[in-house]
Amino acid sequence: MKTEINSMTSRQRVLAALSREPVDRTPVCNPTSVATVELMDLADASFPEANRQPELMARLAATGYTELEFDTIMPVFTIIQESSALGCKIQWEQKDNWPTVKMREPIYEDVDDINIPSDLLTHQDTKCVLDAIKILKKEYGDEVAIIGKTMGPWSLGYHGFGVESFLLMSLDDPDKTMQCLDKLKKVTIDFGVAQIEAGADALTLPDHATGDLVSGDYYRRYLRDLHTEFVDRIPIPLILHICGRTVDRMEYIAQTGMSAFHYDSKNHPQESIDITQDRISLVGNINNPETLFARGPEEVRQEVYKNLDAGVQLVGPECAIPLQTAVENLMEIPKAVRDWHKERVAQN
Amino acid sequence: MGQIVDIGRRIELVPMDSYFHDITIALYQQQPAIGPSFLVHTYSRIEDASQRIQFVVDAMQVLGGMALTELGLLRFSCGVDHQLACKRVFLEACKSDPTQLVESRPNTIVDKKSNRNVTVLSRGNGRYQVTVDGDETGKERRVSAITGGLIKLGDMIATDEKNSDQVVFSCGRSHDALVGLLLVRAPNVRAVVREHQMTASRGVLSSPSQQE
Repeated sequence: MKTEINSMTSRQRVLAALSREPVDRTPVCNPTSVATVELMDLADASFPEANRQPELMARLAATGYTELEFDTIMPVFTIIQESSALGCKIQWEQKDNWPTVKMREPIYEDVDDINIPSDLLTHQDTKCVLDAIKILKKEYGDEVAIIGKTMGPWSLGYHGFGVESFLLMSLDDPDKTMQCLDKLKKVTIDFGVAQIEAGADALTLPDHATGDLVSGDYYRRYLRDLHTEFVDRIPIPLILHICGRTVDRMEYIAQTGMSAFHYDSKNHPQESIDITQDRISLVGNINNPETLFARGPEEVRQEVYKNLDAGVQLVGPECAIPLQTAVENLMEIPKAVRDWHKERVAQN
Repeated sequence: MGQIVDIGRRIELVPMDSYFHDITIALYQQQPAIGPSFLVHTYSRIEDASQRIQFVVDAMQVLGGMALTELGLLRFSCGVDHQLACKRVFLEACKSDPTQLVESRPNTIVDKKSNRNVTVLSRGNGRYQVTVDGDETGKERRVSAITGGLIKLGDMIATDEKNSDQVVFSCGRSHDALVGLLLVRAPNVRAVVREHQMTASRGVLSSPSQQE
């Protein structure tokens, strides 16, 4: 690791860390949302409109860099943009809550129901993302890493079939489940490639084979090869995001060739690094509900240090932060990273 | 580059103000030389947002008996933060209808659970006594519930077993307006806790597996 702090731009720093190349300091990265209700006021860009209008989406996302001093800008706050384009019913909610797919009103019952609409990339809610990335690329392209997001087929399966139905199908009929994933992967690839063309520097790929519902073996059987295929077909650094305790699948995740894994605070930084070693970068894993939301800067700093001490390559919140998170807690993350590096330089 | 400056530690938040364009209003605590002080703040730049903030500040002075410093911060005259009580004053001020005159709450309320009048009397040195009218049956239990409510909402302290109907502020100073405000919610603290939990749980994203 270099010792001269701040000799790289944020963009250079993030892209280097995603490739596990030397960096001047550990980048602060948000593969998922850091939007808060206070930042919405500051940017005059509130939910739900900031999820549907590109100018507002870009303006709110930019505060992650201009105000919080993260090294990334991530405009895709939600996990429902593609699902809206696929025809799922969306509960758009208000400023203080997340839009969600109404999974009790599923749009698929069988594999034959899956038809990728021709307007997938021109639908308001996917086009909004593409246009927001273009705006951000034009304004911040050289200095900061723009991160997009394309949902994986497992998550899209939850949205289209409903979580329970999809999981039952995966138990009862693995072949059919594979067919579903195979059809839905086109959404992941097409939307991902479109974001690259719009100017994204990297993509988060959430695929919610979460620790609470799906085993590590499930991940290996259903998703490892699919994720390896994404690495080949979406030519940009990919950051896989899976919530929950995932150490039982980190070995398989490390085999995919993904650039990074955005990992949850349920996994200890050191045990995670011990598994992934130098095969994939880790991003995370500051706890959201207990630390960022409910505690103060001192506790945030402790978790940042824990990640840095373990050698985690990019530091940031574990997932999309609660919308009521205090700004001073978020600003503590880059401050703590800079201080940790200064302390190391001083020690040497 | 950034517009955010250090304005202290945020201790309470109203994510959507129903009286003014759904702006977010926050209460920040600072520690200037004069002692713990509080700032009501919004990042909204909507026209007249500052007037809305001024209304909340004015309402907190009336409802909580708080004073305004030269720097525009709020504080209790005793110099102690009474943080929990201050948060309650802030939340109640944000809930006050701006078209109505804000007045300090009386020291007597009708307790809906027992249909009795409850009065809180100042006994000096920050000590307050809870009294409930009507017959003796169940009276002690209501007094106990309401003193418990004042302790939980205002971080007040129980005095001693001999005076179980009394509570006291740690500063040893009187806060009549504040006690009047706390008294309104003291008979039903569970509802306050439920409301707080519901507000706090909004905006926390759960993974698809946890959604409906």
